[in-house]
Amino acid sequence: MLGLQLQGIDVRFPGLAAPALAIDNLSIAAGSRVALTGASGSGKSTLISILTGLERVGQGRVLWGDIDICTLSEGGRDRWRGANIGLVLQDFHLFPGLSALENVLLPARLAGALTRDIGARALDLLLRVGLARPTQMIETMSRGEMQRVAIARALLRRPGVVIADEPTASLDSEAGDAVGDLLLELSRESGCTLVVATHDLALSRRLDRRIRLAAGRIVEDGTIAERAA
Amino acid sequence: MIGFILADLRRLWAGSLVVVLLVALATALGVAVTLQERALRLGSARAADKFDLVIGAPGSETQLVLSSIFLQPSPLPLMAGTVLPRLLADPRVASAAPVGFGDSFGGYAVVGTSTGMVRELEQLSEGRVFTVLGEAVVGSAVDLPLGYAVKPTHGLAELGGHAHTELAYRIVGRLKPTGTAWDRAILVPMQAVWALHGMEVEHDEAEARHDHAHDEAASGGEAGPKHIDADAALNEDWSKVTPGLPAILVRPKSIADAYKLRQDYRDSTTLAVFPGEVLTNLYATLGDAKRVLVGVTTGAQVLVAAAILLVTILHVGQRRRQIGALRAFGAPRRAVFIIVWSELFALIASGVLVGFGLGFAAAKFIAGYLSGESGVAMPVTVAAGDGLLVSILLTFAAGLAVLPAMLAYMQSPAAALRA
Repeated sequence: MLGLQLQGIDVRFPGLAAPALAIDNLSIAAGSRVALTGASGSGKSTLISILTGLERVGQGRVLWGDIDICTLSEGGRDRWRGANIGLVLQDFHLFPGLSALENVLLPARLAGALTRDIGARALDLLLRVGLARPTQMIETMSRGEMQRVAIARALLRRPGVVIADEPTASLDSEAGDAVGDLLLELSRESGCTLVVATHDLALSRRLDRRIRLAAGRIVEDGTIAERAA
Repeated sequence: MIGFILADLRRLWAGSLVVVLLVALATALGVAVTLQERALRLGSARAADKFDLVIGAPGSETQLVLSSIFLQPSPLPLMAGTVLPRLLADPRVASAAPVGFGDSFGGYAVVGTSTGMVRELEQLSEGRVFTVLGEAVVGSAVDLPLGYAVKPTHGLAELGGHAHTELAYRIVGRLKPTGTAWDRAILVPMQAVWALHGMEVEHDEAEARHDHAHDEAASGGEAGPKHIDADAALNEDWSKVTPGLPAILVRPKSIADAYKLRQDYRDSTTLAVFPGEVLTNLYATLGDAKRVLVGVTTGAQVLVAAAILLVTILHVGQRRRQIGALRAFGAPRRAVFIIVWSELFALIASGVLVGFGLGFAAAKFIAGYLSGESGVAMPVTVAAGDGLLVSILLTFAAGLAVLPAMLAYMQSPAAALRA
């Protein structure tokens, strides 16, 4: 598991006077489970891009453990992300023409990280997320099943952090609840840090901490217990 | 990775098929032109190879070769009949045979010649050589049975030629294939051709009178129909004064003799040519035509390459999110580059290879058709240079595929996912 330290983050996009994201300081303890909330355009997706190293910040530090990913090269960030971040996205981003198992294994295969142990873990994870037919083609699955495959893919290489961007937004409530359960259970089992950007109140309430963004700034940060008090 | 690439191509099979077909057709066009031009060149060279030296009346060298070697139905001016006995008496000449044209039957040229020429051309596959005036030997590609009676038409039937009723040739032999236009010829005694056209030996004391176009002799100067004895024995003593001749095929004893003969028989009354030499001049003209064709096909290939590049770049643009997702999940940029490059290269390479096969098949088909029409065997062969052409095309494809692959490589995954 990895803890996060953000310092002096300032992200600006050309043509916009105000920063898209401005965070002076943010710490997330290793193994904690955090909800990122906020309206559309509040900066959630930008923050996720920065946390995952998909986007490099112009200013500031993004420390995961003791590695500042801002100092890594493009290829270095790809390698670091593949090894340390499990990513679950709203649109699943599964690849048609491949089976569930092939989809789970694809990133590891492309990164040259596929081992016998990883192959066995993929089968275990698919069973764990409730998919008994690993060879089922992805295009024949329901959306709920697809998101389960995406969760298995995210956890395959035992990442220190799982980041989910609106994981339940495109699912009905029943499938969304099931996906939320899985994310919480599996992150607890693996002990990884979990960051979930979501509009789903039910899901955000089940996490330990909620950080709310508005206009690129943190406007609320507290544990669920604090807010309850 | 290969599984992913194949799955991707399967998913996009319709677009992939169109790209492969486009490349295949562009390649086939170039390959067919190259192979067909080579087949034509090789076939005509081999067809002419059987004939060392051709002597005719002064005029067009090309026409002399086209008429005497490729049996093109065009009238040739006649030379004095005395040239033949002079040649036969020449110690530098191994053999010399008269040839006379002008008649046809069922699309086949009827060629008057000597028994010696028939034997020199090729062995008989069946039957025997003609021995009387009314007999004929056919080339291997003449679809007429032995025993068939051939009533020649003067000129070509489709051009309004009239039938000769005075004599019918009976087919008594068939030659083995020679790969020349003579495979589609009906060979008859030269004396019969003279007789049919009123040019018998005894009527020609002054051979200068026959120094005019055969066509004129046949249509204008011909006497009315009269009986010709089909069973009259052949007299091949050419030392007597003979009527005018359109061409004589000569086999010199040595190369030196060939050059001397060509020199001696290029004067105001005769024209001696090496068919190979005349063909070389023709090839120079063909070469120019080939350059134009190659230019056109290269232009077509460049257009196809540009179209494919455009389609691919648009396609990469449409797949930005997928490519961004691959990167987001930890696939290195190198892998993304290889995937995009491999997919495009696989499609173009398949197109090139399929196109090469199509081009070869097209060249074979065209060569077969032309061979059927002319009798000249046109061997479609693949040379080392063709392998080089394929290598160049594949190298070009490899280079072409780099551009969209680089676009994918340089794409920001975050921007791609936002797209």
